[in-house]
Amino acid sequence: MKPFRRNAGPPAGSSPPIGESPLLDVDRLTVRFGGLVAVSELDLDVPAGSIVSLIGPNGAGKTTAFNTISGIYSPTSGSVRFQGRRLEQSFTTGTFWSAMGVGLLTGLLFAAAAVDVDRLWLAVVKRGMITNEPFSLAGAASRLRGYFRAELAIDQMAGKWRVVSADGSDVLAIRRDLDEASALRNAFQAEVTARRAGPGTVPDTSDLADAVEPTSEAAALPRIREEVLDRLAAGKQRIRRRGWLGLFAGWVLGTAGTLAVWQRGRRSPHVVARAGISRTFQNIRLFSNMTVLENVLVGLDRTIPGGVTAMLFKTPANRRAEATARGRGLDALDFVGLAGSANRIAGQLPYGDQRRLEIARALATGATLILLDEPAAGMNPSETGELATLIERIRQRGVTVLLIEHHMSVVMRISDRVAVLDHGVKIAEGTPAEVKRDERVIEAYLGGES
Amino acid sequence: MPRPATAVDVATGLPARAGVLAWLRERWEIVALAVLALAPLVVPALGGALGGQMTTLFIYCILALGLNVMVGYTGLVHLGIAAFFGIGAYLMAILTVPMYPFQIGWLAAAVVSVLLTAGIGLALGAPTLRLRGDYLAIVTLGFGEVVKVTLRNLEQITGGMKGLNPVPPPGAGVKVAGIDLGLAFAIDPRWFYYLSLLALAGVVVAMRRLEHSRLGRAWVAVREDELAASAMGISATRVKLSAFAMSSAVAGLAGCLYAGSLSTTADPNAYDFNRSIMVLCAVILGGLGSIPGTLLGVAILVGFDTVLAPWADSLIQQMNINPLGSSLLSFSGWRLAIFGLALVLVMRYRPEGLVPSRRLAAELREAHP
Repeated sequence: MKPFRRNAGPPAGSSPPIGESPLLDVDRLTVRFGGLVAVSELDLDVPAGSIVSLIGPNGAGKTTAFNTISGIYSPTSGSVRFQGRRLEQSFTTGTFWSAMGVGLLTGLLFAAAAVDVDRLWLAVVKRGMITNEPFSLAGAASRLRGYFRAELAIDQMAGKWRVVSADGSDVLAIRRDLDEASALRNAFQAEVTARRAGPGTVPDTSDLADAVEPTSEAAALPRIREEVLDRLAAGKQRIRRRGWLGLFAGWVLGTAGTLAVWQRGRRSPHVVARAGISRTFQNIRLFSNMTVLENVLVGLDRTIPGGVTAMLFKTPANRRAEATARGRGLDALDFVGLAGSANRIAGQLPYGDQRRLEIARALATGATLILLDEPAAGMNPSETGELATLIERIRQRGVTVLLIEHHMSVVMRISDRVAVLDHGVKIAEGTPAEVKRDERVIEAYLGGES
Repeated sequence: MPRPATAVDVATGLPARAGVLAWLRERWEIVALAVLALAPLVVPALGGALGGQMTTLFIYCILALGLNVMVGYTGLVHLGIAAFFGIGAYLMAILTVPMYPFQIGWLAAAVVSVLLTAGIGLALGAPTLRLRGDYLAIVTLGFGEVVKVTLRNLEQITGGMKGLNPVPPPGAGVKVAGIDLGLAFAIDPRWFYYLSLLALAGVVVAMRRLEHSRLGRAWVAVREDELAASAMGISATRVKLSAFAMSSAVAGLAGCLYAGSLSTTADPNAYDFNRSIMVLCAVILGGLGSIPGTLLGVAILVGFDTVLAPWADSLIQQMNINPLGSSLLSFSGWRLAIFGLALVLVMRYRPEGLVPSRRLAAELREAHP
């Protein structure tokens, strides 16, 4: 049988040494739901290459411990370390730049809304189409600058030329002749600019797109009401203030939101799974409408290279990757003895086979630690015996096993160490023989049942 | 509802049948494509109004296949697909109409607007996909309405209630073998018939490939059991985002073709909630997550609406049995009643849809042994 995992564990067959530094290190783990303490101050070391069992009466907190290790629950206090590292997504430069990028995009969106993107479009794009000259990027850029300086502009409507404010909401004059309108626009702009600079100062015309020559026409200006001139003068400051405010507010919201979401998803199950911990579930959670092979292929998902375009165009590399994954999936099924049912629908398998399929799926992820939550539940004695053998074979592949189980025949036969939980507290730990003799264990089991 | 026990073909999960039927089942898309491709040569009506109606039908098929990615494969309820349809149409129009300076050509505009629509889908999905079930449905419903109102209110950009037109036909100004392509597209509806049929065939092939790829499996896995999928190392958020982007992109493509075939974006009300629901109904009626089912659902629902109802109305008028114009005697007066009745009957007797997907069929067979 080909190996179906890239695995860094010890070679199959040899009994791996039970190392000094544990593969999984659970340290003073406490999980509390409201007032209920499900797991209290749990210490547990799982050495690489071992089979460790977690036993205890119902409601002892075994599954809660599993769920916390696999990232479904967050610990109230204490820590879980795997290969010496905490199972959390680390803050990378990628995280930083994606938060910045999202912030920038949100900021631009907010700014677009704040400066009225509709009128911006009118000023930059549509006014570029009214003259006979071809649309040029330089022209668009200068109109964009003009919009944020709230400069007066020339617009066309029904064949007549109009002098309008940058956003088109104020119409100052209407002329048949373009040159006449341009001259008027320049004269008005000079007046608005002068007003912006304040009374008594020489108007600064350097920020005008078109040079303004103070001509005698200025004397012949149609009169404009004072409040309109004031509004136009204040326009530049208003549009800029709005734009910056929008950009800033959006940036803060986008960045903070991205970071908040990142923080909340730091310890999600897929992070734990990618670190190399895989699991099965007490109540079987297969993808029951997919085929048996497809279930395993979902487990192999991370090992299949190639992006969406490769899938869409079915590139040779993509075909090869899929074929390899299929081969490895069939190997995984063969390992648990389900090779003959590869094309059946997973939900239609008998109960024991579903349990074994879950194990195959978990193994397919290439995990170095596998958590089995009551794999023998509902099995008859002969199936239970087969399962114990299977778990030993898993260990021989170099995969460490942490097991919750009620069948003592399995636990006592295969475990290197056994930890006993009762009411969330670890009451005993040791070899199967030691635990079997422990008074408190006997009390917890027998005392509870009598 | 008891059903006779049949031998199940393991490869397809469908009852094994011998002969022509089984072959049809396997190769339905080639047969359908051949029939539709040859139809304009045999049916002269396709050169007239019927050709336009069939084009619309193909476009809705593409839209429904896009929706199917989210609702069918990934199991996310999406009530605002028409918004992405509209965004695609408007982007297409903005990039091609003569009143704007871009005019980058039909094909380039289609590519750009599909990509941009996917981007907008991502932008909506990123903050909302952590919501579950009903909440996501409400967000998509709200987004659909927001887009419609935005399109109406951004009058300078989208032309408000007038919409943007004229969207030039594809290949305007390009001459191939003495035929002005743009003119040909504008005059003969069969050109657009073939273009949209080609696009539909492309989308079907793409969906078929995705379905059997890593991404397709991840979509279904997340639908089946999100927790188990993420315990297998699949990032449910990323998978859902990819479904959202793919769905939006395909809907955007449908929008491009729609704006192109009508040569206008029509007014924003063309992309309202009714359209989303119509497409959703078609997907559910045909069979969630099933490509042939989705196509059949659209053919029945949209075909009933755009092809059959006008035809029946004109027939009634020709027979002159309704001189007073009573709505009780016209077919379209009963249109919605028939529509509703059909949906109720299908949901009662075939809840998995007309052509259920292999996976769902298996589930329902299990439920009613």
